[in-house]
Amino acid sequence: MKKFFCCAIVVCAVSGVFLSSASASGISIDAGLTPAEDRWIVRTQARYMKRKDDPTHMGREMTTYAFPTVVAYGVRPDFTLLVKQAVMHQDSAMGGSRNKTTGLADLFILGKYKIYRRNTSEYIFGTAATLGMEFPTGAETFTSNTWDLVPGLYASWRSGPWASDLGVSYAWNGFADRGRNNINPGNEFSLDWALAYQFSVGTDARTSIAPVLEVSYKNISPDQRYGHDVSNTGESVLYISPGIKFTKSSFILEGLLQIPVWQDQKGSLLERGAGVIVGVRFMF
Amino acid sequence: MTRYKVSVAVFFVLIATIGCSSTNSDVSALPSGEYETRVYEVFGMGCPGCHGGVEKLIAKIPDVEKAEANWQDKQVAVVIPAGAQLDDEQVWDAVRRSNFTPGERIK
Repeated sequence: MKKFFCCAIVVCAVSGVFLSSASASGISIDAGLTPAEDRWIVRTQARYMKRKDDPTHMGREMTTYAFPTVVAYGVRPDFTLLVKQAVMHQDSAMGGSRNKTTGLADLFILGKYKIYRRNTSEYIFGTAATLGMEFPTGAETFTSNTWDLVPGLYASWRSGPWASDLGVSYAWNGFADRGRNNINPGNEFSLDWALAYQFSVGTDARTSIAPVLEVSYKNISPDQRYGHDVSNTGESVLYISPGIKFTKSSFILEGLLQIPVWQDQKGSLLERGAGVIVGVRFMF
Repeated sequence: MTRYKVSVAVFFVLIATIGCSSTNSDVSALPSGEYETRVYEVFGMGCPGCHGGVEKLIAKIPDVEKAEANWQDKQVAVVIPAGAQLDDEQVWDAVRRSNFTPGERIK
């Protein structure tokens, strides 16, 4: 009788947000653990999200596709460098007119530092801190137009078939400058938790499949202009996201369905619909 | 946009094909008389994809022919030419640099 082994896998997902100026963010797999020295990890995704339910009844809708790619490198056992760049496509409709825009999002560079790691025969536990910077290099529709500082703190736990990851991050948008028209995008707070249970496939210890559940909360404060809130900006959203992850040696295929179970949109902001994330990861 | 969707789909299929076609190392396929296999206990490998980092670092040690890790057994097998000199501390150093914790040398 085959014995099913479990390995924890936590899929990154999070509150992949498709605001016009915000890049997707969230828990990275093994968020509290740093990879081996000299380890390369390339991860690319396709993300879909739709905004609708126009409170102004003007028929506004917005569909966003994002294709982020992250390249991570284990510089040292306690330090990992990550670079993320996304290609964005947005399709907006209002009344009978449509507007389609494609371009690059802002470049994001992140450093991840190991704080603590404990490996035993029974469990694995690790914590890591991150510090990232988003540069205003993106296309007009997708850039924040500001230099944004993003600190974060993560923890990961593995025991037998179970794995759990917890992360918190804060995007301090425009911490050193002002945006276009002196408007600074609102700061973003993210809290993410994920739970996974892994099954081996066949007798190959390097092949597995894991169902995943993520819970993500994101709060985006209103945009600011000269110290005052800009109307119709700011939102909070809570996602519950079931997903699945397939691992074959150094290759990982993942998918996630993000379901907004609660949200609070300020003013006339469109409501978020469900989002879909599919991705591949390659390690070498 | 259709062009982008097709490009992304092709990219994913290509990556999936490359990933699924990768073969695992087979330590047992090496001629036993010419090589010696040592087995070390390693803690911290919590998933199927965790083997690559420690295998890569151990394989860089001089005289190491190959390394194969098994996260379920919490072990790594290191193959060296018969009679070669391999300091266990070199293996433990590679394990630590992988963010894992050395256990005992089993074999």
